[in-house]
Amino acid sequence: MSAVATASPVSSTPTIRLALRRSVFWVVAGVGALLVAVIAFILTGAGGAAGPRLGADNPAPTGGMAVVEVLRQQGVTVVPVNTLDEAGDATAAAGNATLFLSDESGYLSTDQLDRLGDLAGRTVVVDPDFRALQALAPEVGFGGVSGADSLDAECPVPAAERAETISPGGKTLGLPAGTAGYTGCFPGENDTFSVIERVTDDRTVTLVADTAVFANDEIATYGNAALALNLLGATDTLVWYLPTLADVPVTGPPSLGALTPGWVTPMLLLLVGVAVTAMVWRGRRFGPLVAENLPVVVRASETMEGRARLYARGSARLRAVDAIRIGAVARMAQAAGLPRTAPLDQVIRTVAALTARPPERVHAVLVGEVPGSDAAMMALSDAIDELERATALAARPPGAGPSPTARPSTGRMEP
Amino acid sequence: MTLTGRFVLLVALGVVPIVLLGDTSTRALAVLAGWLLLALTLGSIDLALAASPRRLTLARVLPSRVRLGEEVTSELYLRNDGPRRLRGIVRDGWQPSAGAGNNRTAVTLPPGERRLVELTLVPTRRGERTASHVTVRSMGPLGLWARQATLIAPAQIRVLPPFHSRKHLPSRISRLKELDGRTSVLVRGQGTEFDSLREYVRGDDVRSIDWRATARRNDVVVRTWRPERDRRIVIVIDTGRTSAARVADEPRLDTAFEAALLLAALASRAGDRVDFLAWDRRVRARVQGASGAELLSRMVDGMALIEPELIEMDWTALPGQIRGITGQHALVVLLTPMDAPGASTGLLSVLGQLTSRHTVLVASVTDPTVAGLTRSRGTREDVYRAASAERTLLDATRVAAAVRQLGADVVTGAPDELPPALADRYIALKAAGRL
Repeated sequence: MSAVATASPVSSTPTIRLALRRSVFWVVAGVGALLVAVIAFILTGAGGAAGPRLGADNPAPTGGMAVVEVLRQQGVTVVPVNTLDEAGDATAAAGNATLFLSDESGYLSTDQLDRLGDLAGRTVVVDPDFRALQALAPEVGFGGVSGADSLDAECPVPAAERAETISPGGKTLGLPAGTAGYTGCFPGENDTFSVIERVTDDRTVTLVADTAVFANDEIATYGNAALALNLLGATDTLVWYLPTLADVPVTGPPSLGALTPGWVTPMLLLLVGVAVTAMVWRGRRFGPLVAENLPVVVRASETMEGRARLYARGSARLRAVDAIRIGAVARMAQAAGLPRTAPLDQVIRTVAALTARPPERVHAVLVGEVPGSDAAMMALSDAIDELERATALAARPPGAGPSPTARPSTGRMEP
Repeated sequence: MTLTGRFVLLVALGVVPIVLLGDTSTRALAVLAGWLLLALTLGSIDLALAASPRRLTLARVLPSRVRLGEEVTSELYLRNDGPRRLRGIVRDGWQPSAGAGNNRTAVTLPPGERRLVELTLVPTRRGERTASHVTVRSMGPLGLWARQATLIAPAQIRVLPPFHSRKHLPSRISRLKELDGRTSVLVRGQGTEFDSLREYVRGDDVRSIDWRATARRNDVVVRTWRPERDRRIVIVIDTGRTSAARVADEPRLDTAFEAALLLAALASRAGDRVDFLAWDRRVRARVQGASGAELLSRMVDGMALIEPELIEMDWTALPGQIRGITGQHALVVLLTPMDAPGASTGLLSVLGQLTSRHTVLVASVTDPTVAGLTRSRGTREDVYRAASAERTLLDATRVAAAVRQLGADVVTGAPDELPPALADRYIALKAAGRL
């Protein structure tokens, strides 16, 4: 018996303080990497890329932040809104306001557009769709994409006159010649115009066919800026309305989200938490693994099996049969009482005499026959086996046990 | 730190308040946050109240040796030096082949007290089995969270070869006694030496009457004889790469150990001096000048740590090693595989040197399945396998013939037959006076 006592055993599990100290490099490195990522994100302005087209706070090339900021610097109160109700409230609060509308996704219905037309004294609609044209300017149609190299004002609208030119190549609107109450500016071919103004009793609706006039990347080219500022900065308040999904009226059966009780999502979150704790519970190892060198397992018969497969792959029939013959001849010689050194001819003669078979036949089985196919090899192998059994049977003295090979058990313990 | 199934259950029970109280989404989220906070608070309190698993004193009591296949009890004493009661689980980090099983023991340790953790080891492999550490997981009073620490506490136990073949020993010893003068066989013959003179009793062989002594003493006196004693036997075990091969799921090396142990036990009973050498390119174990019980214990001790090496046996240095052990004539028993003529050239090249000075016996393990495979020839693959098996037998026969031609004796046998066969051959050699 040996007693190994350790007075105060050393623990290989680090304490929390030690673990923190060890991992301090990685914590610092992780925080640093995060900081670098955040700074890079801010510097590239990637955050704005996902904003809406012509968004009032979108600094991306397609956004509208440039014109909004300039208008604010000029003392115009810009109120960005996202629903028709908010737009109504904002225009009502301001009294005299300009309403800017860009409904890129076509959220607004005809009724809502009718309501919108009555909200403010001045309404500027950018890139109107079919419903907007039907509601606000029924006579106006689509004019396709302008092919003109330059677009000049050529109309008495003050904003357009000051602008003189705008970016060529955008969408246009079609206005039949001589339609009363409409003024077309920046004409292209075949009665198409890039800006159309409709003046009714107390309201002015300006349709701007292309969004490029207000977009950040083109606002500074041609007379775009002058047109935008004059159109939008005419009043003290500008309501910048970009419709969202909230404007779409709810129809049809309630959605799945509305039908599920409020506790479903928190319960799912809780189940995720349960799964995580269960993973920690089952996954925490009870101490480190214990290493052990295990011995290799090599079966001694592997070389024999390998040689057998080599014979089979090479179809070495004669070699295989010869190996069987050599073993069989040795056993038969022993059974017949011949010495180990007895020549083959003598063994053949003795076996033929014992089994009363023609020596030529015995010679063919033990020496002469060359197997030409696998079937012949199998037959030859069986013949060798049969001859061996017959020899053993014939060589056995009469009255001996039933089998020469199987020694009957004595039932006694071995001495 | 770790947590228990009870804590998982506690978190899962949060479903009940969330469903009952959370009629709107925001309230349900609030209930969820509250429940998680409650669970974490309870867990933290539990962790803070758990006893430190580091403030333990460990002591081990362990036998230094065990025979393979036998059980041994490992005792681990834990004393709690901390101020709190420790409730937890202890795992003793034994190697898998030490046979400790699923060694997790629940313990409760009041402060300042000592508890015994008993573990039954049933080693599955020979050699030095070690444990490196003890891991203690200490639960808090609520059983939610636990502290865990691994304490360095090395231990080792030497697993000796099993010596299964000792069951053959009594029968061989009784055969040895028949050779000896203690039985009524008092015939003079080869391999016997003069023992003593005693009075004639009826039944004695009249040929053993010593007439000269009879004339001196006026009484009929016979000579008694006994077998030769104090012969030298050198057992050499080949621990090279070929000894790693397994026959009947036992490495050849282990079979060689069994045979060597049986022979050593028998020969030391017969009064011969046994020396043991395990050799490949250097000496793996050597036992010299021991006898009786000490011989066997030193042999198994040395054998326990020997594993087959991945190198070729250096036969050329072997005669020098044997000369270093004994200069006299001895029975040299070589336990080595004897499979193929190519692999045995090293053995054959030095056998002549050995047989010129000593009586040499080469013992080798054969695969019992090979002989059976020559008989099964049902399919094409079987025929090829039978041919290959015949070739293997033929190779072994050729090597054995070459060994005999060089003047050495050969013993072969299946793993369970080789040790008694070697013992029988030893008795036969002794009876023939060839030692």
